[in-house]
Amino acid sequence: MPEILASLEASSFSTWLRESPSVWAYPTVLTLHTVGLGILVGANWMVDLRVLGFGRAIPLGIITRAFPFMWAGFWLNAITGVLLFVADPTKGTTTVFMWKLAIIACGVALLISLKRKLYGRSVEMDAATLSVKAIAAGSLVVWIAAIATGRWMAYVV
Amino acid sequence: MSESIVLFLKSTAISQAMSSSRLLWPLCETLHFIGLALLVGGAGLMDLRLMGFLKSIPVAAVMQMRKWAVLGVLINVITGSLFFIGAPAQYINNPAWYGKLLFLAVAMINIAVFETTQGKRVLALAAGENTPVSFKVAGAVSMGSWFLVLYFGRMLPFTGNAF
Repeated sequence: MPEILASLEASSFSTWLRESPSVWAYPTVLTLHTVGLGILVGANWMVDLRVLGFGRAIPLGIITRAFPFMWAGFWLNAITGVLLFVADPTKGTTTVFMWKLAIIACGVALLISLKRKLYGRSVEMDAATLSVKAIAAGSLVVWIAAIATGRWMAYVV
Repeated sequence: MSESIVLFLKSTAISQAMSSSRLLWPLCETLHFIGLALLVGGAGLMDLRLMGFLKSIPVAAVMQMRKWAVLGVLINVITGSLFFIGAPAQYINNPAWYGKLLFLAVAMINIAVFETTQGKRVLALAAGENTPVSFKVAGAVSMGSWFLVLYFGRMLPFTGNAF
């Protein structure tokens, strides 16, 4: 492990996050990280599924209201993710973590491109084009991979 | 009594598969979190609309996404049962597990009561229409109890010996 990570791990904040018996340390951070996952992926999946043709009664022009929720979940997880990294920097050097970051970058890129395709659509416009559907399908799969790599981190180091 | 249940469950083939396979447990955990996201997405959408947010969406339209929340619950009840059968001792003495089961029951009873008493009324709410107080309460109870199910689930490793 690089020296900078070793000193991070030895810092009092890192030690507190990792070892404190307080419920506000590791357990709270981990719970919030799970809540953020649910909000980000849950909201994104509902939009993906709508684009793919499920729940057609929801107008495409309105489903865009789910995007602020996705960003809320994303930032909650960016912050709690940094805290989890500080608590256990060794996990942050694993290959599975690199995969996880790369997959999340893909997920966010798909989120942004989906938002661009859907914004400004009239409320009545119902049928999504094939290219939008491809983005939605990709997004569904990418978040499954993000969850899988995230879960896998519990079993390394 | 609980000890004999633990011993019996551990003697089953499912339990032995769950604890001997290196892949099965992480795979079920992944499925459990996929189910969690489906539930948060599907139920969250409904709960927010019932609570009076996202009024531009007709309630009947939101209800079309409910099947994904049901799928999420189904996946999680199955994978959750596999965890319990796989390592019953981790849960049976764990206070967080009872908290999780309690609020799972609260969420289910809330849905059952709301469905039987308001099921028809809810579908009649059009886009832009506000919801009555009873709907707001049902939505808030649902969101609150699902959050507590998640919270106690996450606490399992910290209040006992589960992972």
